[in-house]
Amino acid sequence: MANSYDAILIGGGHNALTCAAYLAKAGQRVVVLERRHLVGGATVTEEIHPGFKYSACSYVVSLLRPWIVRDLDLPKHGYQVIPLEETFTPFPDGRYLLRDADAERTRRSIAQFSKRDAEVYPMFGRAMSELGRQVKPIIDQAPPDPTSFDPREIFKLAGLGRRIGGQGETWTSAHIKMLTMSAVDFLSEWFESEQLIAPMAVSGIIGTFLGLRSPGTAYVLLHHYMGEIDGSFREWGLAVGGTGSVANAIASSARSFGAEIRTEAGVDRVLMQGDRAVGVVLENGEELRASRVISGVDPHRTFLGLVGEHHLEDGLATQLKRFKMRGSSGKVNLALDALPEFTCLPGHGRHLYGDITLAPGIDALERAYDDAKYGAFSRRPFLDIVIPSLNDPTVAPPGKHVMSIFVQYAPYKLANGPQDWENQREAFGDAVIDELARYAPNIKDVILHRHVLTPWDLEKTYGLTEGNIFHGELSLEQLAFLRPVPGWSRYRTPVRGLWMCASGSHPGGGIMGAPGALCAQAVLKQGAR
Amino acid sequence: MSFDALVIGGGHNGLVAALKLARAGRRIAVFEARGVAGGLCARREFHPGYRVPGLWHDTAGLRSKIVDELGLAAHGLTFRAAEPSVLAVTDAGPGALLSPDDVAGVSARDASAYAEWRAFIGRVRGFVRSVLDSPPPPMDVSSLSSLWQLARRGLALRRLGRDDMIELMRVAPMCVADWLNESFESQVLCGALALPGVQSTFMGPWSPGSAINLLFAECAADRSVTGGPAALIDALLAACEERGVVVRTGTPVTRIRTANGCIAGITTADGEDVDAPIVAASCDPKRTMLELLAPCQLPLEVEESLRVVRTRGTTAAIHLALDGPLEFRDREGVAIECARISGGSLDELERAFDAVKYRRFSERPALDVRVPTLEDPSLAPEGHQVVSILASFVPREVDGGWDDTQREALGAAVVERLAAAAPSVRDRIVARAVWTPEDLEADYGLTGGHLQHGEHALDQLLFMRPAPSCAHYRTPVKGLFLCGSGSHPGGGITGQPGALAAKEIVVGHGS
Repeated sequence: MANSYDAILIGGGHNALTCAAYLAKAGQRVVVLERRHLVGGATVTEEIHPGFKYSACSYVVSLLRPWIVRDLDLPKHGYQVIPLEETFTPFPDGRYLLRDADAERTRRSIAQFSKRDAEVYPMFGRAMSELGRQVKPIIDQAPPDPTSFDPREIFKLAGLGRRIGGQGETWTSAHIKMLTMSAVDFLSEWFESEQLIAPMAVSGIIGTFLGLRSPGTAYVLLHHYMGEIDGSFREWGLAVGGTGSVANAIASSARSFGAEIRTEAGVDRVLMQGDRAVGVVLENGEELRASRVISGVDPHRTFLGLVGEHHLEDGLATQLKRFKMRGSSGKVNLALDALPEFTCLPGHGRHLYGDITLAPGIDALERAYDDAKYGAFSRRPFLDIVIPSLNDPTVAPPGKHVMSIFVQYAPYKLANGPQDWENQREAFGDAVIDELARYAPNIKDVILHRHVLTPWDLEKTYGLTEGNIFHGELSLEQLAFLRPVPGWSRYRTPVRGLWMCASGSHPGGGIMGAPGALCAQAVLKQGAR
Repeated sequence: MSFDALVIGGGHNGLVAALKLARAGRRIAVFEARGVAGGLCARREFHPGYRVPGLWHDTAGLRSKIVDELGLAAHGLTFRAAEPSVLAVTDAGPGALLSPDDVAGVSARDASAYAEWRAFIGRVRGFVRSVLDSPPPPMDVSSLSSLWQLARRGLALRRLGRDDMIELMRVAPMCVADWLNESFESQVLCGALALPGVQSTFMGPWSPGSAINLLFAECAADRSVTGGPAALIDALLAACEERGVVVRTGTPVTRIRTANGCIAGITTADGEDVDAPIVAASCDPKRTMLELLAPCQLPLEVEESLRVVRTRGTTAAIHLALDGPLEFRDREGVAIECARISGGSLDELERAFDAVKYRRFSERPALDVRVPTLEDPSLAPEGHQVVSILASFVPREVDGGWDDTQREALGAAVVERLAAAAPSVRDRIVARAVWTPEDLEADYGLTGGHLQHGEHALDQLLFMRPAPSCAHYRTPVKGLFLCGSGSHPGGGITGQPGALAAKEIVVGHGS
């Protein structure tokens, strides 16, 4: 049958593409269905202002698993990453912190705030890399299920326990602290200066609806030390051509294995036959059938939207509604006529090439969180900025630049409801620019175009429920065997024939590819039985 | 006179440990810095003629097994026949009345949700208590015996059945707000239920890890002691006397002495040396290990792991003497013994927490209110009442430092909060006493003014409490044991840290 497949993938995000590539590589007949005119989901490059290519949503690459890059031969398909080496943090008092690959320069920069911290910093980096090395296998395999009585599961769990608990008391205790403490408390055990703690701690809050002082934010710090580019640890990078080129490379690889990829093919619903998913119905009414339907969209949209609550057992619907989405961030993309000039460090030095983190202090960031807790965007938000055009001239016209600003906090649920974002969008954009202008006053004069994405827009345009960039909060009760619902963390779902392959499954969000690849492995293993 | 073991601190855990050791045939002396034994459970006259039966006021966590084992009933300890209901106070309306069995004053949907929520607590209680009532599980999994211990606990967890097991693992790291919001629609109910999850912590209801505190508190709660904390101390002291335990009050210990890496004894503030091969310290672990212990006795990493224990006090105590009853709005003439005022919603409770992040006390603090005179009228002159309040959140360090002006402002904020729910209270106040965390530190010797001797947070519980090297009551110094709230299962009136430490001492040294 012309419209019958081994697998249908709903959504053309990078995880679904990865899953499709692996399945196609194994000889399966697969089709990827993307609602928009381009693939990538939140991993897209979009020319919203002529000549300027925005990495509209996701903007840095680091966690994309190296084995996936190899398996899918991505460099051949245009995947190329430029490492980001500097992290620049200006402070309101005119000082700044600059951390980069030069250990001595970094030491001197930290020493202006604390000599002790400057000495401890490299030790911290080594300890974190070791911690990262110990737990890294967890993100490269399906999570063990502690509720299972299968001896293989118990064995796997014991193996994991030994990995974490068998390295001696000091490491075990470090793992537990890392997993449960707040970023500020965790870092305060090592460092004393707020000017170092605040910019380091922010990596713990990115994409989550928690503050720097909220328990459970420390472990995301570890992600920074687990990132790999070309096999080297703790690096973030920019994809040449914008993050969309990562998705395009995966798509190209998938096509080379025979996968079919259709854009402007929005799925209206999953086609059910009894309690079994047998295909999908497109928005234009077309029906496609397959032995497996694999969803690359988030759990809420998949089950409560595409499958429909009436097809779910009672308990499952409740569990899915409990699964927290909770968008907390927004994005502002700028087309610039010229580079920003920071008052504390004028000129266009290396500090502009890396990550620019506006994290002026712990209290300031906590206040930003407090605003969001009670239903408003942060009046003084946290900003994480990159200027990709400095490293990659292909994304802007000569002499011009694009700036990508990740903004937190922007709660999906404003006090007057999420639709109030339609009225608040520009005020939100203004708050972001005002905050940046405190440090780089010329910014207001060099903006050619401004593109503001609120959580509401992330939901409407990119299909992320509540604008959550990770398809569900990465909080402890939503990780590993509990993600997305307890007992269904192995990419299969309680709906027969339906699988999950994206960030809503283990190991979660970011441009990692792991959920997609692990889902494909699970599908193939099941098929082989 | 020589002793087999010395106990530092005459709080309820110190006395439990002392008594248990004495019953095992040891000669024991207890050293208490304050003029009276009991620590936070000691009776206190805060104004002539007006007393509270302890600074803590909830005794429902006291383990009846310990009471039986120590024969405290023979010394007058009895449990109350029925637990007092808790009034969940709102700024408007009569609020809700909570008891372990049901809730009144909320929607039918919430009433049935409450029954279901309590039923879940009931189903997991046995397992949770077994965790709280045994020494923490081992951290090191390299030996067979520790693997066996872990496996046994794993099996016990599995015996809950798949659904409850998963639910317990899911809930433990959650924030209390999410957990409660999943079940209830009434914010008054949520706000009141959440308070024990965040009290004495540096967490608000939206902080992950607060749910486990509530879960532990709910699972531990049983029957209250007649006469409150002070009655427990009375019984413990009587039993100690019978067993020949020497209790020396007004005798601060200034040094824990060692010789050749082993415990040699203690030195008191008067310069007196008392020798013994074992010292069990019920004061907080930081004070014990970093201040009282002679310097350079600990490996550096152990010292560091104790230095980072978080002991940020966030609770103040306020006592009121009233010349008439405490009457809540819309409930005039009804005697309410317990009330929780958390602003009527989780968000209000969260706002109360926000203040401590910025080194301020909450201007609308959350109050845990008790009227002990309703049970024991002898605490005040006839017809008068005393009100004992634990107020959250109040930081140990306020901007500008604590002084009388700040202290009075805190007292006024607490009274205002109470008066919003009980308007007549203002006119009935005879006296008011305020203890900030700084006062609590100075008076009771609590590092950071922390009532629990260290925050109950996910990384400071079980085998992490207070630090991995001394989580099993032993310390790296031979003969030095920890037996207070800083050890598993933690703070509050349970008697468990004292009892488990004594057991460890007896087993470790032959009985």
